[in-house]
Amino acid sequence: MADLITINVDGKDVQVPPKIQLIEALRTYAKVDTPAFCYHPDLSVAGNCRVCLVEVAGPRGFAFGIACHMQTAPGLTVKTQISSDRVKWARRGVMESLLVNHPLDCPICDKAGECTLQENYMNSGRHESRLPDDAGKQYKGGADHRFTDAKGNDRGGKKIDLGPTILLDQERCIVCSRCVRFMSEVAKEPQLAIAGRGDHAYITTFPGKPLTHGYDLNVTDVCPVGALTGKHFRFQQRVWNLKSVESIDPSDAFGANITIEYNNGRVWRLMPRRNPAVNKSWIANSTRLLYQQLAVNRLTDARVAGVDADLDAGVQAAKAAIAAAKKVALVASGHGTVEDNAALLALKDALGDKSEVFSGSWLAVGKADGIALSGDPVANRAGLAVLGLADNLDQLAQRAGEFDALVVFNHDLWGADAAKAAKLEAIPARVVLAAWNDATVAKATVAVGIRAWAEVRGTMVNSQGRIQLMHACPVLPNPALEPAWQVLAGFAGAVWASEAQAFAAAQARAARLAGLSYRAIGPMGAVLPQPALAAAGA
Amino acid sequence: MAKVIPRPDLGVWERLYIGEIVKGLMTTFGHAGKALTNPAHFPTLQYPEQQPDIPRDYRSRHRLMKRADGSPRCVACYMCSTACPARCINIVAEESPDKHIEKRPVRFEIDLLLCVFCGYCVEACPCDAIRMDTKQAILVGGDRASFVADKAKLMDWEPKDYPADDIQSQKAPGGTLNAKALEELRSGSDH
Ligand code: SF4
Ligand code: SF4
Ligand code: SF4
Ligand code: FES
Repeated sequence: MADLITINVDGKDVQVPPKIQLIEALRTYAKVDTPAFCYHPDLSVAGNCRVCLVEVAGPRGFAFGIACHMQTAPGLTVKTQISSDRVKWARRGVMESLLVNHPLDCPICDKAGECTLQENYMNSGRHESRLPDDAGKQYKGGADHRFTDAKGNDRGGKKIDLGPTILLDQERCIVCSRCVRFMSEVAKEPQLAIAGRGDHAYITTFPGKPLTHGYDLNVTDVCPVGALTGKHFRFQQRVWNLKSVESIDPSDAFGANITIEYNNGRVWRLMPRRNPAVNKSWIANSTRLLYQQLAVNRLTDARVAGVDADLDAGVQAAKAAIAAAKKVALVASGHGTVEDNAALLALKDALGDKSEVFSGSWLAVGKADGIALSGDPVANRAGLAVLGLADNLDQLAQRAGEFDALVVFNHDLWGADAAKAAKLEAIPARVVLAAWNDATVAKATVAVGIRAWAEVRGTMVNSQGRIQLMHACPVLPNPALEPAWQVLAGFAGAVWASEAQAFAAAQARAARLAGLSYRAIGPMGAVLPQPALAAAGA
Repeated sequence: MAKVIPRPDLGVWERLYIGEIVKGLMTTFGHAGKALTNPAHFPTLQYPEQQPDIPRDYRSRHRLMKRADGSPRCVACYMCSTACPARCINIVAEESPDKHIEKRPVRFEIDLLLCVFCGYCVEACPCDAIRMDTKQAILVGGDRASFVADKAKLMDWEPKDYPADDIQSQKAPGGTLNAKALEELRSGSDH
């Protein structure tokens, strides 16, 4: 990084990098909480809301400047709300103008509780109105959507259907243009626009065109107020009742960072978690809606020879099948964590020569979209390589006749390529550990339910070679379900106390994981050393 | 801070005890005598045949207020359940068919066994949709489930003896203002 420079904030010298946005310098380095509506760290600077203003020393003394647009330079002298009453006064004025025409919708607004307008108003707002009681509001909205409410007020557009995923409330919009910038700069398909001028300006789509894009739900996150809301979460929960755990996208090798938000025994939504080095602030709609699968079609118990059984019976039957076999094929899974695959390798060691490990996937790899998907649906493919597993699944199909038992976990072989998988039906005993009742479970002789991705703690390595941590959300369809590593370690006759022990087992096999711990990986992940460097270091 | 309550200083006469007993019994026999001579002023309530007269402002079982068309006024904002210290209000929201109302409760349940009758829910409600003025303070049930008041139960109370000109009765079901609003709604002048 470039050398740090010194700026002066509220009379104190602060070391900051040169030429970064002043708002970032204030927030990150000077630890001054600076409000913003239109500024978003992963979008261009628009500078239209003016709430971030601070006082900056210039040739004619201190003057207001917006912190989101100004860049740090040596000798910059800034007064924030901490030392300047003028800043507080001006911000209160900005907030007052913003709220003057904002509907008092908070009780039915899905954004309430995580709304930037609420937060900033509470911090810097004017808490008593200066408007006469009978002054009406000037609500925003296009002509097509205006209506007269029960009290005779002229109202703007509410609940406008923008497309398959999103509803717009034009009244709530504060015209920060974040959504417009997201669609044109990140999604690269400008589908939203601002129409009208001044306090009549409102957000709309182009005539006759819906808002539809594989990433369009991100506009509901960038929207600082409740103007844009996702249909999938509309009226489901109040956000302050949700608890959250950090995880990563299990459906793609890019490993976009997410949080799983849940309460009352149900997962209600997935939200992007900002990681500047990976997905920035964005996740694909497909990732965001994965939570809808978590309670659907789950394998909550076991199935032995097509008959439902409890989990213990399933595990016993699986152990018996593995013990009775002369040659066992173990299939590693890029949909499982590093820990799960380490447990599979422990099972291989326990079985010795009578077993062989196969790895890889039959799923087609697509193209990266440059936002938050790599196109590779095998989330932990790089993790398999880290553990030294080669992509040799086709060999298993060719040599299926050599084996009399198959162990598969978290890997829908039949769903990926039924024609190739059909060859595996030559193997008489097929033990499948799966979270969902998928096509592979249908072909299993013994199927045992395990926890799904949201319910496990563990690590995955993404397509950039970054190891990332997922945490377990404590919502289970059956509390007795165990993660795959625990079941596999049980097959190997080992008792592993926790994920950390499974991770240590993985580290013992992979030089690139040396020296890491869950704490060292942390919420932002850690880049693994290149294979050659790791070998040299080992 | 602990509050110190001093013991009452008993005199010799009070400590003799017997005199105080006689004083107490005189009250009892006094009431008995009055009851014999004037049964209308009998001070004992023949509960449960006779119910106590509960003032309207006493915090009693909740009710959900209705709009002029009889639908609940509640917009399922969860403010009451958020304010509730006993966590006994359970709400499930849905889309309202009236797109300008937007949100309404599909389920609204109060577990009256958990409720501590604090009235915070009434304070929290932004649209005066929940009140505790039903004068029903004595709740009877055979099992736990019968103490869970659901949306229908919360909306079935008829404020017959609410004075029509009481400020509290504006648009209360049965109130005159409500009837007027309903009429306006039917004639279409309200929308
Ligand atoms: S809809 Fe939301 S994100 Fe878009 S301009 Fe309005 S307030 Fe900003
Ligand atoms: S009266 Fe108090 S305890 Fe009872 S439902 Fe209302 S807020 Fe909860
Ligand atoms: S606070 Fe009032 S409007 Fe909100 S959910 Fe409770 S009763 Fe309904
Ligand atoms: S955040 Fe700086 S002007 Fe909007």
